[in-house]
Amino acid sequence: MISVEGLTKRFGTKLAIDDLSFEVQPGRVTGFLGPNGSGKSTTMRCMVDLDRPQAGIVRFSGRRYQDIVDPVTSIGALLDASYVHPGRSARHHLEWLAISNHLDRTRVSEVLELVGLTEVAHRRVKTYSLGMKQRLGLAATMLGDPEVIILDEPANGLDPEGIRWMRDMLKYLAGQGRAVLVSSHQLSEIALMAEDLVVIGRGRLIAQEPARDFIARHTTTRVRVRSPQINDLVENLREQGADIRPAGETLATDGALVTGFNMAAVGELAHQQGVVLHELSEVTDSLEDAFLAVTKDDQEYRSGSSS
Amino acid sequence: MRAIIASEWLKARTVRSHWVLLIIAVAFPLVISTLVGIFNPEPKFMSYRELGSMTTGTGVVSLLLLTSLWVINLTSEFTHGTIRVTYAAVPARWKIIVSKAVVGTAVTLVVMTVLFWTTFGVGALLLDRRGAPIIVDGWLSHTMGVWVGLVALAVIVSWFGLSLGVIIKNSPVAIVIVLLWPLIIENLIALALTLSGIETAHKWMPYQAAIQTVDNNPGLDGTLGRPWAHLYFAAFVLVILAVGVGVDRRRDA
Repeated sequence: MISVEGLTKRFGTKLAIDDLSFEVQPGRVTGFLGPNGSGKSTTMRCMVDLDRPQAGIVRFSGRRYQDIVDPVTSIGALLDASYVHPGRSARHHLEWLAISNHLDRTRVSEVLELVGLTEVAHRRVKTYSLGMKQRLGLAATMLGDPEVIILDEPANGLDPEGIRWMRDMLKYLAGQGRAVLVSSHQLSEIALMAEDLVVIGRGRLIAQEPARDFIARHTTTRVRVRSPQINDLVENLREQGADIRPAGETLATDGALVTGFNMAAVGELAHQQGVVLHELSEVTDSLEDAFLAVTKDDQEYRSGSSS
Repeated sequence: MRAIIASEWLKARTVRSHWVLLIIAVAFPLVISTLVGIFNPEPKFMSYRELGSMTTGTGVVSLLLLTSLWVINLTSEFTHGTIRVTYAAVPARWKIIVSKAVVGTAVTLVVMTVLFWTTFGVGALLLDRRGAPIIVDGWLSHTMGVWVGLVALAVIVSWFGLSLGVIIKNSPVAIVIVLLWPLIIENLIALALTLSGIETAHKWMPYQAAIQTVDNNPGLDGTLGRPWAHLYFAAFVLVILAVGVGVDRRRDA
């Protein structure tokens, strides 16, 4: 388990992390979310003792990172796939890492096979695409078969097959009982793999809870209904206290979006009224909607209007 | 610690640019020695002392190239961000710096020794055949002294480069300072001290003190003499290295 307690990191006058505390449980993928500049990467660097925080402590199963002997065998961290000497081959990169932590060199071949880089392992890294570097970074992360995995934007540069492979891999690793903390801007990916979420903004904790609860708490579920007698049904629903909006340009062609009633209630009401339904479905907001709703006041960098 | 040294040794030998620098460092004095041996118009005036001085002179160029290699071996880690992977793998940062110093020292000792005796040997062979008085009484003890002085200087300068690399983290700046330190920086400091009344300031400039004693007899006027000049320079460099390790331990990687 990872335990972050009261982490505070300042760069000059800028407070990058502000008394941040959260936990990452073993056996689960935890998504680490936050707007640009919210302090995700800084937090991860502090976790593995690269940045020196002004206050707070990070523990891995009760131990501080600097107290762990051969940390590659306990904690695998991929902070940036470009942290590789471009003139060195992938195999040599993994070999020096393995040797430094008393790992057998045969493990290098195993992880190269795992990430599909065996054929190009002798090539210098400067010839690699970003996706290949990501795979190499994941190989380095898995080198010591660690119980904790920390990944900062691991899907960057991966093709769709690579993204699915990464997602399946992380879920598989968590399924083996490892604690997996992964940050990503690809919220759809996080939604597919993360069971827990840690959301931060301006260095402060905004939410820590199961992903399903987070989405449910910060989004609205609506019922979409289409019917040739839509006006009758809408009138009845409004009388019952429902909030109705057209699902598109007109009620007649695009149907209605009903808030305040669940799908079963709308169906029963239609049945009682003798209204024919052409569509009855639940429309749920995405993790992206929930994330944007929660962090709207914590966006440090905003895009200009596109109009 | 042995694992970390082995890891650093693997890092040092798996980058092509390091080998290029090493080959140039070894080839340069050999080429000069060969050319002097073949084309020197007055070989009979070339004694073992002159050949030792020439070997030292070209060897200093080699040691500066080797030092550049050790500077790059460290600073490229900062440039490419691999220092973060390194420090995440070995959180005790001083162990990385010390391991790099151990690898640098071992390689410098071997390379400078091979380079010195090969250069001197080629020069001696070619000049001896042309009648130069190289292998005469006293040549071995004198040349051994020059060898020890040059290799010791090379090792200390490599530590100096490493120390500056830790503090500065930038390859070109660290290399330029290593090169300019004895030529400009120490001269300016000595000049300032001399103008303020310390007339022996020049003698106490650590890098220059060590260079001046490489191929000279110990205790020449105006120098500290060997081995004190080398020990003095080594002590100065170790202080810089300790400062570098201290700074590196506290700052963000």
